[in-house]
This record gives sequence, structure tokens and C-alpha cells, in this order.
Amino acid sequence: MNKTAFRGLFLLVLAGALLLRLPRLGLRPMHHDEANQAVKFGTLLEKGEYRYDKTEHHGPSLYYLTLPVAWAFSKHTLASLDETTLRLVPAIFGAGIILLLLFFGNGMGRPAVLFSGLLAALSPAATYFSRFYIQETLFVFFIVGFLGSLWRLAEHPSTGWALASGFFAGMMYATKETSVIIFAAVGGAIVLTMIFQKITISGKVPLPKIRMIHVLWGLAAAAVTAFVFFSSFFKNPKGILDSIVAFKGYFEKGGSAGFHAHPLLYYLTLLAYSKSGAGPAWSEALILGLAIIGGAAAFQKKDRRLLKRNTGRAEKLFSSATSAESSFPKFIFFFTVLATAAFSFLPYKTPWNLLPFYTGIILLAGMGAAFIFQFLRKDYLKVIAGLLLAAGLFHLGWQSFRANFQFYADPRNPYAYAETSPDILKLAKRIDGLAALHPEGRRMLIKVVCGLDQTWPLPWYLRSFDRVGYWQDWPTAGGFERVPLIIADQDQAEKLGPLLQDKYQAEYYGLRPDVLLVLFIDRGFWEKYLLDGKK
Amino acid sequence: MIKKAVIYTFASVFCLVAVLSVVAQSQTQDPNKEELKLQLPKPMFIGTPRNIKTPNLEIVTGKPRGPFFVPKGTKLISLRRPVTASDRQPVIGETGFVTDGEKSGEDGYFVELGPGMQWVQIDLQGEYDLSAILVWHYHAQARVYRDVIVRVSDDKDFMKSVTTIFNNDHDNTSGLGIGKDKEYIETNEGRLVDSRGTKARYVRLYSNGNTSNDMNHYVEVEVYATPAK
Repeated sequence: MNKTAFRGLFLLVLAGALLLRLPRLGLRPMHHDEANQAVKFGTLLEKGEYRYDKTEHHGPSLYYLTLPVAWAFSKHTLASLDETTLRLVPAIFGAGIILLLLFFGNGMGRPAVLFSGLLAALSPAATYFSRFYIQETLFVFFIVGFLGSLWRLAEHPSTGWALASGFFAGMMYATKETSVIIFAAVGGAIVLTMIFQKITISGKVPLPKIRMIHVLWGLAAAAVTAFVFFSSFFKNPKGILDSIVAFKGYFEKGGSAGFHAHPLLYYLTLLAYSKSGAGPAWSEALILGLAIIGGAAAFQKKDRRLLKRNTGRAEKLFSSATSAESSFPKFIFFFTVLATAAFSFLPYKTPWNLLPFYTGIILLAGMGAAFIFQFLRKDYLKVIAGLLLAAGLFHLGWQSFRANFQFYADPRNPYAYAETSPDILKLAKRIDGLAALHPEGRRMLIKVVCGLDQTWPLPWYLRSFDRVGYWQDWPTAGGFERVPLIIADQDQAEKLGPLLQDKYQAEYYGLRPDVLLVLFIDRGFWEKYLLDGKK
Repeated sequence: MIKKAVIYTFASVFCLVAVLSVVAQSQTQDPNKEELKLQLPKPMFIGTPRNIKTPNLEIVTGKPRGPFFVPKGTKLISLRRPVTASDRQPVIGETGFVTDGEKSGEDGYFVELGPGMQWVQIDLQGEYDLSAILVWHYHAQARVYRDVIVRVSDDKDFMKSVTTIFNNDHDNTSGLGIGKDKEYIETNEGRLVDSRGTKARYVRLYSNGNTSNDMNHYVEVEVYATPAK
């Protein structure tokens, strides 16, 4: 494949990725976790304040990287923010992941890069969480950046690549605590690749051609990057220590997962096939199948010939004495297996946590797809394989479309995990309509009496109201006399009902599947609202 | 001795209360009525229903509904009667599911109509004195259907002789008038609507989405009635 064709096709892939990531970002209601991050970002936006919280919220990178986007859209307060502005950040980074695949051109060949990009662009899991205001997509971006610059460093040792590797490693750490799993998987994969090379080829353990000075530059860059972010740009130096102390809490959380405890094969079965009742079937088995082929191809004796055909240069991850065999695909294989195993063994599982190791699977799948076309000699077989692959890719794209634009908040979508019901938008609309009639407008008093799990994403939807109070138990919420609006979860509503008697009109709203909220509206105010005819 | 007296006194009081209860029951129960025997599907969601005591939300006790008395000779007359709907192309299932006698909350037993205000209509193929209407929208999940309105008529277009027998549209979203009935959480017991002997051939049930999504669902509707007098 010549460079021009590759560039053209790569741009098409990138455009496809953007097409599934950018439109209608405000469509899905804010998830509990997104709202939490958004309100945290609101404090940084409005007051310039950020302090790393060692118990929740993960690393600081998401907030700081959202700032330029918010400023670009002239958003300077939490109230002025909207879903589109916030979700633009993961959407941009989600497409950016595909750009970073260019780092791997020499390691896996242009066709494999193209196929990996195509699969990443169309994967329902990748697209869904690229439209989700949490850390995961940024984390994957930095992982790919780290793997890519590390590979480049091994190929062309230089201070620049050492600094780039360190920067991406630092950003990984400043994004999610689970970066330690990825660092361990990368380290383990390097060791396993070297051992494999020793056993099968050279008879001795080869060492990467990376110089110690580059290692030091990389470590320094990682430390500085992490420190800058965790210290809130030098305002809170303690933040870096907190980031280390935080591991205690996260280890405990990972082990005692509660609601988020899922079986060992949760991630792989979720990707392979899932179907809920009469809903559509979802499957990314194409990617898994191609990854298996890619994994097997990584250990094929034909690698050398194939690599030469595709890249035109021998790769040098490990010393030149090691092998003429390809070591990069093996490294990716070992990395993927180790990362998948590590995340699978953790009892705490949520669908977005599959993304870090799924990136490895997608890289392997890209190599698998490229291998098929190299392996098949006869043209008609290549045509058949091409048609089958095209059908599979179309199916992936179709699923992505459905996941993001049709089943975006539907429990039948396997990626819509504890998703907020669209009914929350009706609650917000009702409160807006009532506020428009209230003499105090958006200074109208609203009391929210909900358990912690039932409170979010209410602070997001009530962000433009000046007087909103949150309590978890009604006796602590003070009096309810002349409070225009009270929002309660079912547990609190059960206790509040007899207290409020017929002074309030009550309405049910869905928060999540099986979780309802009750909106109590002052009876007099409600009747005025009805008379006014506004809903 | 005293112990025996106390025991006898308690036993006498207990017997008296029991006899009085039976007498009271037989006096309040119309001799022309009998208890409506219902076959309920198995419950689908586990969780403690909340007893929210407010004037316009139905109290969910978690206990079985009490007996409901209907005129003697009342029968289920809606089974496999023709059903039409405002949404002619249901998203999931068929309108025939509404009267097919299958009340399971599992997938494959409900019809899903499009978003917004929708209705299903049952043609009883004759005039009846309606005793009770039992509706299951969807009981696999704790959800509330909005603007539930049940109307009956002898006109298939519901242009004349329309009687509203249930309406919990408290803000008149439907434009069919403000209803005073209560919003309720769907359970396997379904919602029993007292149709008070209203004479009609057609039964039309409205809803306007639910607290989980904007769609409208029906697992089953049962109409109990006696032939029109």
C-alpha cells in the first residue's frame, strides 16, 4: 500500500470515527458518574479550585483538559455548561486514539494500522464511551500514546521519545488509578517477549536498546507531568502524596465491589454476545475473532516476510541480535492477555473499564485482519474475505449507531450501565416550568431528600438553581412549610407523604431502572401552574 | 380458678368477634355479588415496594389486593377479542398480545407502542355490563405509566357515549380532562379498575409513556362483564 492511498484511507477512517462521536452529544441524559465529574469540573471552572480527592473522582486530567473546551465555547460557570461541551472532550480524545495508531506503522504495518483504526472507529464500546464524560477514553488515549512512544523509543532511541513516553505515562497516572495495572501489564509483556525470543530464537535474553539516560528522562517526564496535575499546578503539592495514599482505598474498592461485582468472564462475554429480552443482540465478536487470528499470527514464522512486505524495515524493539522475527505483535499479544486477565480478575467491573485492555484487542484484531489478506494468495479468496469483513464492519457501525442514537439510555444496551432514565429530563422540564411561574424564579427553594445513590445526577440538572439543599434523611432537612418543591427518593417519600398530607401534589419520575423519585409540589403552587396552562 | 375464668372470657370474646365479623361480612356483601377470581402472573421484580402515602400516589402495600366483588355470572369476556391501536405498527410484539391470555412479565409477552400518547382498543363484539377491567402494562420492572385513562363506549370511534372510568392524568396532558385517580407502580397484580356496570362494547386504554422510557406497553387487558340487560 503506497503512502498516498494509506493517507487517504486513514483520513476516511478518522472522518468515520468523528461521525459516530460528535453528533448529538447532548442526546443521552447525564449518567450519575458524568454528573459527578461535571459538577467537580464546575468548581474548577468557576473558582479555579481543584484538589485531588483520594477517595473519589479519579485523577485531575479530565478537568484540566476540559477547561480549554469550555473556554472555547465561552462557558465560564457550571450553570452555563451543557452536555455537548463536556462530552466533546472524550469525543475528541476518542478520535485522537485513532491518530495515535500512526505510531505503530512500523511495528504492525500500514494495513494493520488501517484495520485497527477502522475497528476502533466503529466499535460500539469505543464509540459509546467516547461520548461519556468520564476519564476512560482519555485514559485509553494516553495508554496508546504511551505504547506508541515506547515503541518509537525502542525503534529510534532519542530523548524526544523518552520524554514523550514519560509524558504519556504521567498523563495515564494523572487520569486513572488503574494505570498501575497497565504499567504492570506493559512491564510483564516486555519481559515475556524477551523470554519468548530467547527460547525460540537467539538462545539468550535480549535487552532493549534503550539507554539508561532515556529511561531517566522518561521517569523524570512522568514524575513532572503527574506532579503538575496532582498538585493542581503547584497549588496543592500534597496532591501527589494523596495520589499514592489513594491506592489503599482503590484496592479495597476493587476487592469488595458490591453492586459492581461481576464474574470473571464478564467483559469477554459482554463483548462476545449480549442480548436482553426482546432487545437487539449486540456483539463485537468480529473484533474478538480477528484478535485471536492476530494473536496467532504474532507467533507465525512468516512474520519476517510479511513485515518486510508491509513495512520495509526490520523492527528493533529488542537488540538487533535478537531476531528477525517480529517482536512488536508478540509484545501487544502479551500486553493484551495480561491486561485482560488483570481487569477480569478484579471483582469490581463496569463496562467502561474494559476499554484499556480492549485497545490491545483492537490492535491485535487489526493485525489479524491484515494477516488474513497476506495469508490468502488467490484473488477471489481475498474478495470473499473482503466482502465478509465489510459486512462485519457494517454490522459494527450499525450497532454503534443504535447504541448511541437509539438505545443510548436503554437497559437493553449492554453499555448503558445503571444509566439515567430519560425521564429525568421530564423532571428537569417540570421544575423549569414551575420556576418560570414562581415569584422567586430560579431562587425558588428546592429540598432534595434522597439517599446518596439516588441523589445524582440531580445536582447537574438543578445546577442553575441558587437555593437547592441536599439531605439524605428527612428529619435533618428542617421544616417543609412553604417549600415549593421537594424531591425525595422512594424511601424518603414513604416517610414524607404522611407529613405533607394533601398540601402537596406528588408525581413519580424515573431515575434509573427500578429507581423512582417523587416530586412534591406545593398544592397552591401546583393549582396556579395548572391554571396558567404551562407544563 | 381465676386463670380458667380469664381463658373462658377470652375464648368467648374471640368467638363473639368471629361470629360478628361473619355476620357483618354477609350483611355488607351484596347477595347478588361474588368475589372476582383472578389469575395473576408471577411477580417479576424483587424489591420492597414503598408505601408512599400521599393523596395522589397509590399506596403500595406489598400485600395481595383484597377481594373484589362483582355481579354473579360475571365472566372474562375479552379473551382473544380483536384489538386495535393508535400505533398501527407496534415497535415490539402484536396488538393481539393484549387479549391473548398470557400475562407473564417476561419478554415476548408484551406489545410496545411508540412514544407519546397512545391507545389500545378492545372490541368486545357485543354490549356488556362491565364489572371490572384489569390492566397490566409491564410488570418486569418498577415503573409508573403516565396519563393512564380507561374509557368505554358503544361507539368504536369514541365520538359519542363515552364514559371515563379511570383517569390519572393529573395535569391534563392528554387533553381528555384532569383525572383524580392516582398514579401507581406496576406490579404483577395489574391495575383493577371498577367499571361499575357501565354498558359498553368498546374499551379504550390510553397511556403516555412511563418513568423508564417514552414507550407504551401492554402485557394484557382483561375485561370482566355480564351480558347487557
